[in-house]
Amino acid sequence: MLDAQAMAQISETSVAVELETSDMTLNIGPQHPSTHGVLRLVAKVDGEVITDVRPILGYMHRGYEKISEVRTYPQVIALINRIDWTSGYANEIPFVVAAERLMGIEVPERAQWIRLILTEMTRISAHLLFMGSFPLELGATTPLMFALRDRERVLDVLESVTGGRFHPNFNRIGGIKPAAGAGKEQKKLTQDLPAGFFTETEAAMDGVIASTDQLEKLLRKNEIFVARTKGIGVLPPEVALSYGVTGPNLRASGVPYDLRNETDYLPYDQVDFEIPVGTEGDSFDRWWVRLAEIRQSANIVKQAIQKVPSGPLQAKVPKIIKVPKGETYVRAEVPKGVMGYYLVSEGGQGPYRVKIRTASFSNLSMLPWILEGVIVPDLLAVMGSLDFVLGDVDR
Amino acid sequence: MADTPNPIPGMIRGMSVTWKTLFTKPVTVNYPKVKEEPHPRARGVIALDQDACTVCMLCARSCPDWCIYIEGHKEEQEPSKPGGRVRVRAELDRFDIDYALCMYCGICVEVCPFDALFWSPEYEYGEQEMGELLHRKEKLQDWLETVPDAPALES
Repeated sequence: MLDAQAMAQISETSVAVELETSDMTLNIGPQHPSTHGVLRLVAKVDGEVITDVRPILGYMHRGYEKISEVRTYPQVIALINRIDWTSGYANEIPFVVAAERLMGIEVPERAQWIRLILTEMTRISAHLLFMGSFPLELGATTPLMFALRDRERVLDVLESVTGGRFHPNFNRIGGIKPAAGAGKEQKKLTQDLPAGFFTETEAAMDGVIASTDQLEKLLRKNEIFVARTKGIGVLPPEVALSYGVTGPNLRASGVPYDLRNETDYLPYDQVDFEIPVGTEGDSFDRWWVRLAEIRQSANIVKQAIQKVPSGPLQAKVPKIIKVPKGETYVRAEVPKGVMGYYLVSEGGQGPYRVKIRTASFSNLSMLPWILEGVIVPDLLAVMGSLDFVLGDVDR
Repeated sequence: MADTPNPIPGMIRGMSVTWKTLFTKPVTVNYPKVKEEPHPRARGVIALDQDACTVCMLCARSCPDWCIYIEGHKEEQEPSKPGGRVRVRAELDRFDIDYALCMYCGICVEVCPFDALFWSPEYEYGEQEMGELLHRKEKLQDWLETVPDAPALES
């Protein structure tokens, strides 16, 4: 007969021998529905714990940088809407501003304010999509319905101005679109905002703010949501900075870095807004920062509506746009983070070279770091909280 | 497990949302039976005014994905007054837009210098066959009726 101590020793040893399993390689994707596109992950799994993750990109590569070299400027603006399809309008801004700076065009104030309003509305719609998709990845379907309901309202206002819900294609070099195209008589006249735009937008913003309260009430104290997000996927600020993470993901880690405060591509200095900053840098903070940003953006839009001056929408530009020789780099704060266009012009009708820096690519680059030590069921929860779009990653 | 959260309060909160939603009016509409009015600026389908078109090819050249096909020929017109000059007019033989390729950017509508192309918010032209999405000039002309009048503008 063995005594209890020896018994325990033997069973512990046998357990240790039993658990000495080899690492399993788990292939995830490239068609996983929860990854906002086609991303392939090759994960080394030890039991349930992920030890190493290798993201494999390129399934959504559409070659926008190369195709921009053989297209004219108006055509490029139509194409770059599709880089990050959740924030089509915001993608246009840095490119258009880059071309305007090379040409030395002063954009009329009214056009700048309308750009600002529409950019913030795009930010709201992109974040509202996250408010729906992230809880959905954790198994909650109700927030998706509520978020999409209010997102539709914002997109409806966007469509009434630009004619497109996802791909507005509303910016032109020198201002915003001169002819919206609808209407038999006035087609070639300069088209402005449709009547009733300001009241409609204000009502939509009130709806959005009410919706964020509703979403917060649903999720902030929800036991399952809190258990699955608090303290999971923690991203320390120094790691985030070293990987070049930008946008809400960086601000959730506690770094108050927002390009809207730093550069002057749009008149953000004339509106009051706060930059919501997280404390822990976990999945919950990333959700909360985006929720707070929706409120701030709605406030920005409400202020901007009061400040839109009357005046022209277009600066004087030649009919066939030729950008003089030179190069420039313009960054902007799009919903996912910092987006930049390095534009090289040789004086032709189209760019000579465009290098696009997208936010999602840098945000995804720290995926191996953040997923190390995370268990498999939390994989999608962490990835969902980073809110990347694969079209934005692969361009 | 010891740290499993108590699910009861969350469930009660969730069911209260369900009950409240049960008695509110839905925001969606029953699509094929009820239709929402599209915005007059919505980019639904491109309409063509054949008489205004001068076969200048600007739209076909500026299209980012070359989905417009145009063919035409020159025709001599009788002088309007006896002894007048014989005028040459371009006649449109073919004007096709391939909506399977079109990306609805609206550059063609914008560049048209003779007001021959218009946006119509009409959207119900889905087809079973991909080739059917190639709209001939007659079909594009029919869309012209659906082009709305210019809406009022914010000052």
